[in-house]
Amino acid sequence: MTWVEQVTAARDAGAVFFDLLTAVDLEQEGFEIVLRLWDPEARTEHLLTTRCPREDARVPTLTGVFAGAAWHERAVADLFGITFDGHDTEPLLLPATFEGHPLRKDFVLAAREARPWPGAKDPGESDADLGDLAVPKRRRAKPLGAKDWAP
Amino acid sequence: MTGYPVPDSSRGIIALDENACTSCMLCARECPDWCIEIDSHKETVQEPGARPRVVHVLDRFAIDFGLCMWCGICIEVCPFDALFWAPSWDHAATDAAGLVHERFDLRQWLAEVPPGTP
Repeated sequence: MTWVEQVTAARDAGAVFFDLLTAVDLEQEGFEIVLRLWDPEARTEHLLTTRCPREDARVPTLTGVFAGAAWHERAVADLFGITFDGHDTEPLLLPATFEGHPLRKDFVLAAREARPWPGAKDPGESDADLGDLAVPKRRRAKPLGAKDWAP
Repeated sequence: MTGYPVPDSSRGIIALDENACTSCMLCARECPDWCIEIDSHKETVQEPGARPRVVHVLDRFAIDFGLCMWCGICIEVCPFDALFWAPSWDHAATDAAGLVHERFDLRQWLAEVPPGTP
Protein backbone atom coordinates (compact mmCIF):
# COMPACT_ATOMS: atom_id res chain seq x y z
CA MET A 1 0.00 0.00 0.00
CA THR A 2 1.31 3.42 -0.84
CA TRP A 3 1.42 6.24 1.71
CA VAL A 4 -1.69 7.90 0.27
CA GLU A 5 -3.61 4.60 0.10
CA GLN A 6 -2.64 3.80 3.68
CA VAL A 7 -3.90 7.17 4.94
CA THR A 8 -7.05 6.97 2.81
CA ALA A 9 -7.82 3.52 4.24
CA ALA A 10 -7.37 4.78 7.81
CA ARG A 11 -9.64 7.76 7.10
CA ASP A 12 -12.32 5.56 5.51
CA ALA A 13 -12.12 3.22 8.51
CA GLY A 14 -13.16 6.07 10.81
CA ALA A 15 -9.98 8.04 11.61
CA VAL A 16 -11.49 11.15 10.11
CA PHE A 17 -9.82 13.75 12.33
CA PHE A 18 -6.47 14.95 10.97
CA ASP A 19 -4.47 15.92 14.03
CA LEU A 20 -0.81 16.33 13.15
CA LEU A 21 1.72 15.81 10.40
CA THR A 22 5.39 16.21 11.15
CA ALA A 23 8.77 14.60 10.46
CA VAL A 24 11.77 13.17 12.28
CA ASP A 25 15.34 13.52 11.04
CA LEU A 26 16.84 10.01 11.32
CA GLU A 27 20.15 11.24 9.86
CA GLN A 28 21.66 8.51 7.62
CA GLU A 29 18.36 6.59 7.65
CA GLY A 30 16.57 9.50 5.99
CA PHE A 31 13.39 11.15 7.25
CA GLU A 32 10.33 9.68 8.87
CA ILE A 33 7.01 11.38 8.18
CA VAL A 34 4.66 11.01 11.14
CA LEU A 35 0.91 11.43 10.87
CA ARG A 36 -1.53 11.29 13.77
CA LEU A 37 -5.18 10.68 13.02
CA TRP A 38 -8.02 10.43 15.53
CA ASP A 39 -11.11 8.28 15.34
CA PRO A 40 -13.77 10.31 17.17
CA GLU A 41 -16.26 7.40 17.29
CA ALA A 42 -13.93 4.70 18.59
CA ARG A 43 -11.83 7.31 20.47
CA THR A 44 -8.61 5.77 19.21
CA GLU A 45 -5.52 7.32 17.72
CA HIS A 46 -3.79 6.15 14.55
CA LEU A 47 -0.09 6.87 14.22
CA LEU A 48 1.02 6.36 10.62
CA THR A 49 4.59 6.74 9.43
CA THR A 50 6.52 6.54 6.20
CA ARG A 51 10.17 7.00 5.31
CA CYS A 52 12.02 8.83 2.59
CA PRO A 53 15.74 8.92 1.79
CA ARG A 54 17.83 11.93 2.78
CA GLU A 55 19.27 12.63 -0.66
CA ASP A 56 15.91 12.62 -2.43
CA ALA A 57 13.56 13.70 0.35
CA ARG A 58 10.12 13.50 -1.23
CA VAL A 59 6.78 11.93 -0.34
CA PRO A 60 3.38 12.18 -2.07
CA THR A 61 1.08 14.90 -0.73
CA LEU A 62 -1.87 14.06 1.50
CA THR A 63 -3.82 17.19 0.54
CA GLY A 64 -6.09 15.01 -1.65
CA VAL A 65 -7.07 13.00 1.45
CA PHE A 66 -7.14 15.78 4.05
CA ALA A 67 -7.20 19.36 2.74
CA GLY A 68 -6.00 20.44 6.19
CA ALA A 69 -2.68 18.66 5.60
CA ALA A 70 -1.63 21.60 3.41
CA TRP A 71 -0.33 23.83 6.24
CA HIS A 72 1.40 20.92 7.95
CA GLU A 73 3.13 19.93 4.72
CA ARG A 74 4.21 23.53 4.12
CA ALA A 75 5.69 23.67 7.62
CA VAL A 76 7.49 20.32 7.18
CA ALA A 77 8.80 21.47 3.78
CA ASP A 78 10.14 24.63 5.46
CA LEU A 79 11.71 23.02 8.47
CA PHE A 80 12.93 19.68 7.08
CA GLY A 81 13.32 20.41 3.36
CA ILE A 82 11.03 17.57 2.32
CA THR A 83 9.23 17.86 -1.04
CA PHE A 84 5.56 16.91 -1.17
CA ASP A 85 4.81 15.69 -4.69
CA GLY A 86 1.64 17.25 -6.00
CA HIS A 87 1.67 20.15 -3.53
CA ASP A 88 3.31 23.52 -4.16
CA THR A 89 4.64 24.05 -0.64
CA GLU A 90 4.97 27.80 -0.37
CA PRO A 91 6.97 28.72 2.79
CA LEU A 92 4.65 28.90 5.78
CA LEU A 93 6.87 29.72 8.75
CA LEU A 94 10.20 30.90 7.36
CA PRO A 95 10.86 34.03 5.31
CA ALA A 96 11.16 33.34 1.59
CA THR A 97 14.85 34.32 1.68
CA PHE A 98 15.72 31.91 4.54
CA GLU A 99 18.57 29.49 3.76
CA GLY A 100 18.49 25.95 5.12
CA HIS A 101 16.06 23.79 7.08
CA PRO A 102 16.28 24.44 10.83
CA LEU A 103 14.91 21.10 12.08
CA ARG A 104 17.46 19.05 10.15
CA LYS A 105 20.03 17.79 12.60
CA ASP A 106 22.91 19.11 10.49
CA PHE A 107 21.54 22.67 10.64
CA VAL A 108 23.98 24.93 12.48
CA LEU A 109 22.35 27.03 15.20
CA ALA A 110 23.75 30.52 14.70
CA ALA A 111 23.05 31.52 18.31
CA ARG A 112 25.26 28.65 19.50
CA GLU A 113 28.03 29.68 17.11
CA ALA A 114 28.00 33.35 18.05
CA ARG A 115 28.21 32.85 21.80
CA PRO A 116 30.73 30.83 23.80
CA TRP A 117 29.35 28.03 25.94
CA PRO A 118 29.12 29.26 29.58
CA GLY A 119 30.06 25.77 30.82
CA ALA A 120 33.49 25.85 29.15
CA LYS A 121 34.91 27.51 32.25
CA ASP A 122 36.19 25.28 35.05
CA PRO A 123 35.52 25.99 38.72
CA GLY A 124 37.74 28.88 39.74
CA GLU A 125 37.81 30.41 36.27
CA SER A 126 36.24 33.51 34.77
CA ASP A 127 35.96 34.70 31.18
CA ALA A 128 39.28 36.52 31.49
CA ASP A 129 41.07 33.24 32.31
CA LEU A 130 39.76 31.50 29.23
CA GLY A 131 41.89 33.36 26.72
CA ASP A 132 42.04 31.72 23.33
CA LEU A 133 39.95 28.56 23.36
CA ALA A 134 41.44 27.59 20.01
CA VAL A 135 44.69 26.66 21.78
CA PRO A 136 43.50 24.72 24.83
CA LYS A 137 46.02 23.86 27.50
CA ARG A 138 44.09 20.69 28.26
CA ARG A 139 40.88 18.97 27.31
CA ARG A 140 37.91 21.23 27.93
CA ALA A 141 34.35 20.17 28.75
CA LYS A 142 32.02 20.19 25.73
CA PRO A 143 28.34 21.11 25.74
CA LEU A 144 26.07 18.08 26.17
CA GLY A 145 24.62 16.67 22.97
CA ALA A 146 26.51 19.17 20.86
CA LYS A 147 27.60 18.36 17.34
CA ASP A 148 31.11 18.86 16.02
CA TRP A 149 30.40 22.47 15.13
CA ALA A 150 29.87 23.45 18.77
CA PRO A 151 32.67 25.48 20.40
CA MET B 1 2.49 31.01 52.99
CA THR B 2 4.43 33.33 50.73
CA GLY B 3 1.57 35.70 50.02
CA TYR B 4 1.52 35.02 46.30
CA PRO B 5 -1.73 33.95 44.68
CA VAL B 6 -0.02 30.81 43.36
CA PRO B 7 0.90 27.50 45.02
CA ASP B 8 4.12 27.49 47.06
CA SER B 9 5.56 24.86 44.76
CA SER B 10 5.17 27.10 41.69
CA ARG B 11 8.13 27.57 39.41
CA GLY B 12 8.21 31.34 39.63
CA ILE B 13 11.86 32.29 39.84
CA ILE B 14 15.16 30.60 40.69
CA ALA B 15 16.82 31.55 43.98
CA LEU B 16 20.52 31.19 44.76
CA ASP B 17 22.12 30.45 48.11
CA GLU B 18 25.56 31.93 47.48
CA ASN B 19 26.99 30.40 50.64
CA ALA B 20 26.13 26.91 49.44
CA CYS B 21 27.43 27.44 45.90
CA THR B 22 30.93 26.06 45.27
CA SER B 23 31.19 27.39 41.67
CA CYS B 24 31.33 23.77 40.50
CA MET B 25 29.83 24.75 37.11
CA LEU B 26 27.48 21.75 36.98
CA CYS B 27 24.33 23.87 36.54
CA ALA B 28 25.94 26.02 33.82
CA ARG B 29 27.03 22.87 31.98
CA GLU B 30 23.72 21.06 32.24
CA CYS B 31 21.56 24.06 31.28
CA PRO B 32 20.09 23.28 27.84
CA ASP B 33 19.56 26.98 27.15
CA TRP B 34 23.03 28.16 28.17
CA CYS B 35 21.40 30.77 30.40
CA ILE B 36 23.64 30.48 33.49
CA GLU B 37 26.90 32.44 33.59
CA ILE B 38 29.34 31.78 36.41
CA ASP B 39 32.70 33.44 37.07
CA SER B 40 34.89 32.42 39.97
CA HIS B 41 38.49 32.52 41.09
CA LYS B 42 40.75 30.41 43.28
CA GLU B 43 41.94 31.51 46.70
CA THR B 44 44.28 29.73 49.04
CA VAL B 45 43.01 29.42 52.59
CA GLN B 46 45.48 28.92 55.41
CA GLU B 47 43.99 27.74 58.65
CA PRO B 48 46.15 27.25 61.73
CA GLY B 49 47.38 23.71 62.05
CA ALA B 50 46.18 22.73 58.57
CA ARG B 51 47.77 22.58 55.18
CA PRO B 52 46.86 25.42 52.82
CA ARG B 53 43.90 24.54 50.65
CA VAL B 54 42.49 26.09 47.49
CA VAL B 55 38.85 27.21 47.49
CA HIS B 56 36.74 28.58 44.65
CA VAL B 57 35.27 32.00 45.27
CA LEU B 58 32.18 33.02 43.34
CA ASP B 59 32.54 36.31 41.43
CA ARG B 60 29.46 36.25 39.25
CA PHE B 61 26.35 34.12 39.07
CA ALA B 62 23.73 35.27 36.58
CA ILE B 63 20.65 33.62 35.14
CA ASP B 64 19.19 35.08 31.95
CA PHE B 65 15.46 34.59 32.40
CA GLY B 66 15.01 35.69 28.80
CA LEU B 67 16.59 32.37 27.79
CA CYS B 68 15.50 30.18 30.71
CA MET B 69 12.69 27.73 29.96
CA TRP B 70 11.91 26.85 33.57
CA CYS B 71 12.99 23.23 33.15
CA GLY B 72 14.59 23.15 36.60
CA ILE B 73 17.53 20.97 35.54
CA CYS B 74 19.98 23.35 37.28
CA ILE B 75 18.08 22.92 40.55
CA GLU B 76 17.95 19.12 40.17
CA VAL B 77 21.62 18.84 39.31
CA CYS B 78 23.03 21.11 42.04
CA PRO B 79 24.90 18.80 44.46
CA PHE B 80 25.12 21.49 47.14
CA ASP B 81 21.47 22.61 47.30
CA ALA B 82 22.34 26.14 46.27
CA LEU B 83 19.45 26.61 43.82
CA PHE B 84 15.75 26.62 44.67
CA TRP B 85 12.43 27.38 43.05
CA ALA B 86 10.59 30.34 44.58
CA PRO B 87 6.95 31.04 43.72
CA SER B 88 7.47 34.78 43.19
CA TRP B 89 6.46 35.43 39.61
CA ASP B 90 6.19 39.16 38.89
CA HIS B 91 9.60 39.70 37.30
CA ALA B 92 8.71 41.27 33.98
CA ALA B 93 11.24 43.75 32.58
CA THR B 94 11.04 46.51 30.02
CA ASP B 95 14.08 45.29 28.09
CA ALA B 96 15.95 42.03 27.56
CA ALA B 97 18.87 43.06 29.78
CA GLY B 98 16.45 43.46 32.68
CA LEU B 99 15.72 39.73 32.55
CA VAL B 100 19.30 38.89 33.51
CA HIS B 101 19.26 38.37 37.26
CA GLU B 102 22.67 38.71 38.90
CA ARG B 103 23.65 37.02 42.16
CA PHE B 104 22.26 39.85 44.28
CA ASP B 105 18.83 39.46 42.67
CA LEU B 106 18.98 35.68 42.88
CA ARG B 107 19.99 35.84 46.54
CA GLN B 108 17.02 38.07 47.26
CA TRP B 109 14.58 35.42 45.97
CA LEU B 110 15.92 33.04 48.61
CA ALA B 111 13.68 34.77 51.15
CA GLU B 112 10.70 33.71 49.05
CA VAL B 113 11.54 30.00 49.02
CA PRO B 114 8.86 28.19 51.05
CA PRO B 115 10.19 26.45 54.17
CA GLY B 116 10.87 22.76 53.71
CA THR B 117 11.64 23.07 50.01
CA PRO B 118 14.13 20.31 49.23
